[in-house]
Amino acid sequence: MTDTDAAPAEEGAAEPAKPKRAGKREVWLVYWAFTVFYTALSVGICLLGRATPPPRPDVTGLQAAAWFDEHHLGIQIGFVFLLVIAGGAAISNGIIGYFMKRMSSGKALAYAYIAAMGVGAVPGFQVLLVCWLTATFRPDRSPDILYLLYDLGMLSYNGSLGCFTAAYTVLAIAVFYDRNRIFPKWFGYVTVWQIVTEIVASQMWLHHSGAFAWNGMITLYIAIVIFGLWVACLLVLLRKAAGRETGHTPALYEAEGTR
Amino acid sequence: MSAPDDRLLRKDRRAVFAAWAALTAATVLARFLTPGESRSATALGDGLVAAIAVLGLVKCRLIIRCFMEVRHAPRWLRAATDGWLAVLWAALLVGYLL
Amino acid sequence: MTAPGTTTRPRPPARERRLPGDADMWVMILGDLFFFGCYFVTYMVFRAMSAGRFTASQRHLDIDIGVTNTVVLLTSSLFAALAVLAVREGAWRRARRLLWATGACGVLFALIKAYEWHTEISRGHTIHDGFFGFYFVLTGVHLVHLALGVLVLGVAVRELRSPRGRRPTIVEQSVLFWHMVDLLWVVIFALLYLMR
Repeated sequence: MTDTDAAPAEEGAAEPAKPKRAGKREVWLVYWAFTVFYTALSVGICLLGRATPPPRPDVTGLQAAAWFDEHHLGIQIGFVFLLVIAGGAAISNGIIGYFMKRMSSGKALAYAYIAAMGVGAVPGFQVLLVCWLTATFRPDRSPDILYLLYDLGMLSYNGSLGCFTAAYTVLAIAVFYDRNRIFPKWFGYVTVWQIVTEIVASQMWLHHSGAFAWNGMITLYIAIVIFGLWVACLLVLLRKAAGRETGHTPALYEAEGTR
Repeated sequence: MSAPDDRLLRKDRRAVFAAWAALTAATVLARFLTPGESRSATALGDGLVAAIAVLGLVKCRLIIRCFMEVRHAPRWLRAATDGWLAVLWAALLVGYLL
Repeated sequence: MTAPGTTTRPRPPARERRLPGDADMWVMILGDLFFFGCYFVTYMVFRAMSAGRFTASQRHLDIDIGVTNTVVLLTSSLFAALAVLAVREGAWRRARRLLWATGACGVLFALIKAYEWHTEISRGHTIHDGFFGFYFVLTGVHLVHLALGVLVLGVAVRELRSPRGRRPTIVEQSVLFWHMVDLLWVVIFALLYLMR
């Protein structure tokens, strides 16, 4: 915030005709929205919804129905809340897309990232919420149907990888090609791990137990550590990148009337 | 190129060739140490696997030190790679013997 | 410092400590080693839980194919290490040829691996067997790294081609990544083929 306040004075002296920029408050606003959204997501998914760490994949229909019955209140509170704030995913993609557009690697990669993450949020996030909310708000349905919702929610949440691998790939390419040093190169490598773990996670469709099931050591827990690391790095790097933005930073688009 | 540079380059090239020869020899040696049908899960088999693990550790360290040039790297990197090697191979060997 | 009685000839100056490649690549390598280490230990834990079944499955692997692949990859690493030395000498053409040879060995490795996969699958050894589940995942993730490695070698070759570029650090970084692919294979080879 501090650098945005100091900047406009000099700028105004040099070019009085150019309208003053209001600073980068919107960048910080979106940054904090991103932070709050990811925190809420962790609380909603992990503590209330119990999707991570996940329930067992090797259960019968009756056990799945009993599991929903046991946790229905947490799922209802957590997932209804997440459904309400689901748009936060778009805002979070927005700030990453904004900094990707600042990179010299081209805007097409930023659009690809936003689009791929936007589409990926439907199977990777919304379908889980909708399936499990349906199961907990309609407990009188047959256990077989509840069992299907149980599987569908988990497999969609963890097993839908195509959009995410595409998003991480374009992000990594953008970081490697960027000469403006918006993000450091090592973050590109951390993003490459994300691609690899997403590919490994595709195994969970084939296994009901062991290291490669949806609650497996390799497909879930190591992948979760890498994802947590990725988000933590992103939080720090976005904060730094937002801090470097001053009133002098050119706007992404020229203001109406100046072109 | 000045003279000491040439000397260092020649030395490095010799080191790289020596490392490759040692690695290949260790690979072939480890192949013949592998316990056969009758010796698996016996004391002799366990000893052979321990030898294979040691050979594996030596091979990894040769790649890191000679090929990746960590032998000229700062101390923190040498310590980090050695730490990884020690923890990994100890864990693998213990896992096998359990 | 020197003890009395040593020769008067001055010792050659100690080589200065330097980080090969750059710090970003070492973040990649150390992180990758850590996460692969987690995979390897997970494999050993699952193996310990049913050692007999794993050993029986491991016997279906052909050690000689594993040995061949190891030697191919070790040789590729030799070429890669020589390429870095050639770059330091300013022998750009030789460096480029060595990098091509490295990549060719990498492709050969992948072809042998594909043949091995084909043989195992046609014998009915699929991921539904405990050991072969790990075999396909570990070798598969390694192959993904190998493909990335070939890509990175391509970046280095392109760098050497243009006279304006030729930054030694780019070649060093890509070669470091390639050695890591080799290093991981050496562990996978011992783990899957030898420790039965």
